[in-house]
Amino acid sequence: MLEFIVSKYNFWIYIILMMIGFYAMIAKHNLVKKIIGMNIFQTAIILFFVSTAYKKGGATLPILLNPHGHGHGAAESAVAVSQYINPLPHVLMLTAIVVMVATLGVALAIVIMIYRKYGTLNEDEIIKAMK
Amino acid sequence: MRVISFIVTVLTGALLIYGTVDMPNWGDPNSPASKHVSPRYITKTEIETATPNMVTSVLADYRGYDTLGETTVIFTAGMSCALLLRRRKKKTTR
Repeated sequence: MLEFIVSKYNFWIYIILMMIGFYAMIAKHNLVKKIIGMNIFQTAIILFFVSTAYKKGGATLPILLNPHGHGHGAAESAVAVSQYINPLPHVLMLTAIVVMVATLGVALAIVIMIYRKYGTLNEDEIIKAMK
Repeated sequence: MRVISFIVTVLTGALLIYGTVDMPNWGDPNSPASKHVSPRYITKTEIETATPNMVTSVLADYRGYDTLGETTVIFTAGMSCALLLRRRKKKTTR
């Protein structure tokens, strides 16, 4: 049981962070607090994916340690795959970070429009004013 | 209302933790994420793209279409923010 927790604890930590953001999205009454919860949720998902890229056993950053110029015909030293961590989740999460910032911008613009029309940011008062 | 939200959150978290039973261990070099196309990116990045930085070569060379879609997303978000935040001038009657 302890070995099961120790071998997968990175997924558990990010699931707890994801649930904190999820609770903020559905339980808070202020609109800006809901948006902050959405941001926490998206950040937790990004960190979850990046944590799957790690390789145990002394793996280092995904940048080649000794690149050998532009030798197209020269003797190429073999690159050990287990020496570098997986670069693919990092790249895909760069795009996810950009999408996160874009949705945050549009969500805040919509909240500004709601505030201009109703004068409050409380969800219950807005629903009452809409009826 | 908050009690129901808390119970739903705890249930969703328990379901997700139950879903991680099948996932590979942390730092496993034989996980499926590190096996199929990722070794090719690591071994051939110097030969095919002449860039020692693997993240740059994947982002700009191997997966260039994803970067094109990302710039489209930024453009769409910027345009929608600019269109949403306009103040309407009250028309004066003549």
